[in-house]
Amino acid sequence: MTVNTVDIHSYLAEFDDIPGTRVYTAKRARQGYHLNQFAMSLMKAENRARFKANERAYLDEWPMTEAQRQAVLDRNYNALLDEGGNIYFMAKIFFTDEISYLRAVGTMTGMSEADYQAMMLAGGRSPEGVRSIKGKY
Amino acid sequence: MARITAGVACSHIPALGAAIDNGKTHEDYWKPAFAGFDWTRAWEAAQKPDVIVLVYNDHASAFDMNIIPTFAIGCADEYAIADEGWGPRPVPAVKGHADLAWHLAQCLILDEFDMTIFNQMEVDHGLTVPLSMMFGQPKAWPCKVVPLSVNVVTYPPPTANRCWLLGEAIARAVESFPEDLNVQIWGTGGMSHQLQGPRAGLINTPWDTAFLDDLTANPERLRHIQHIELLRETGSEGIELVMWMIMRGALGPSIKELHRHYHVPASNTALGHIVLEKIA
Repeated sequence: MTVNTVDIHSYLAEFDDIPGTRVYTAKRARQGYHLNQFAMSLMKAENRARFKANERAYLDEWPMTEAQRQAVLDRNYNALLDEGGNIYFMAKIFFTDEISYLRAVGTMTGMSEADYQAMMLAGGRSPEGVRSIKGKY
Repeated sequence: MARITAGVACSHIPALGAAIDNGKTHEDYWKPAFAGFDWTRAWEAAQKPDVIVLVYNDHASAFDMNIIPTFAIGCADEYAIADEGWGPRPVPAVKGHADLAWHLAQCLILDEFDMTIFNQMEVDHGLTVPLSMMFGQPKAWPCKVVPLSVNVVTYPPPTANRCWLLGEAIARAVESFPEDLNVQIWGTGGMSHQLQGPRAGLINTPWDTAFLDDLTANPERLRHIQHIELLRETGSEGIELVMWMIMRGALGPSIKELHRHYHVPASNTALGHIVLEKIA
């Protein structure tokens, strides 16, 4: 028999050592539960129409924090990740806005849309130096 | 008896599906991404698989945050196409193989894999894009599909090794199905990509290339890769590569690489594709 030797605390702690990345852990899933379920509701065309007609009123129907609501209104995707949002749920918001993954994802990098797309065409972001905060490699 | 004859791996980037659906595959941006599938389309047309066990992940389409099954197997006769926010992709409904799927579900549970079983479920780009890449735009898909979805969204996803072992169990289960069926197993998702945060856009071609090489050269290394390595080296969404381990585990020790294709970029992602033949 093999014994599971993974220590959950060190398993999770390593995730905080990755630069510019929010791993969708149980903690984030709990924090963002209502935010993500709100986003999921945008899968239905009638909900997308209601949201577009009055975003604030639609958001007020969900038991979300004020910071979560404001980040949705601002389309601040890094703030939404910090508030427990998951990218596949946040995608429902940018599909509602009729923008692509490529454009929406680029907004999180601090780069202009043109610079981000040029970086991707040139082969993407190198992993050099962005694997580990502590290890600087 | 049913038998697994080959494994196919393929990224399931939604923009590939959109390029097909909107007639853009001959544009300069997309041409090199699609060119690597010409070989596979001809090969699949000759192979004529009866069923594909298609390993994929749902992207908040059928499963939201209420239910998060680690491994789920579809046991229905048919699966509708999900509306992911743009309307459903204009592709045929996916026909299931309920007899084989229920057989697999029963065998896997007795083999100590505690599967979730689903019947009514809409399938998203994770499942339909690989079908489009391999079969183009037919009126009906040329084979049946057993969908097998894996949680790679909420941590922790299953380990690479657990996925490998599930693959081995799937192979045993297929071999005990009495009907004479040509079964392929597909692993989808990957390769390196990160869709979130300031590190978005990460691509690691050397790492991806070594992974493709070691599917034949050193699969033992791959089955013991840890989540943290996938996150650091292949980006937060590169974790999808654990699903390729189910495909590889199902093929057994003797395999031959028939075809490979790798292209950067497809939207935010490194597109990877490989065809592996099982040697009896």
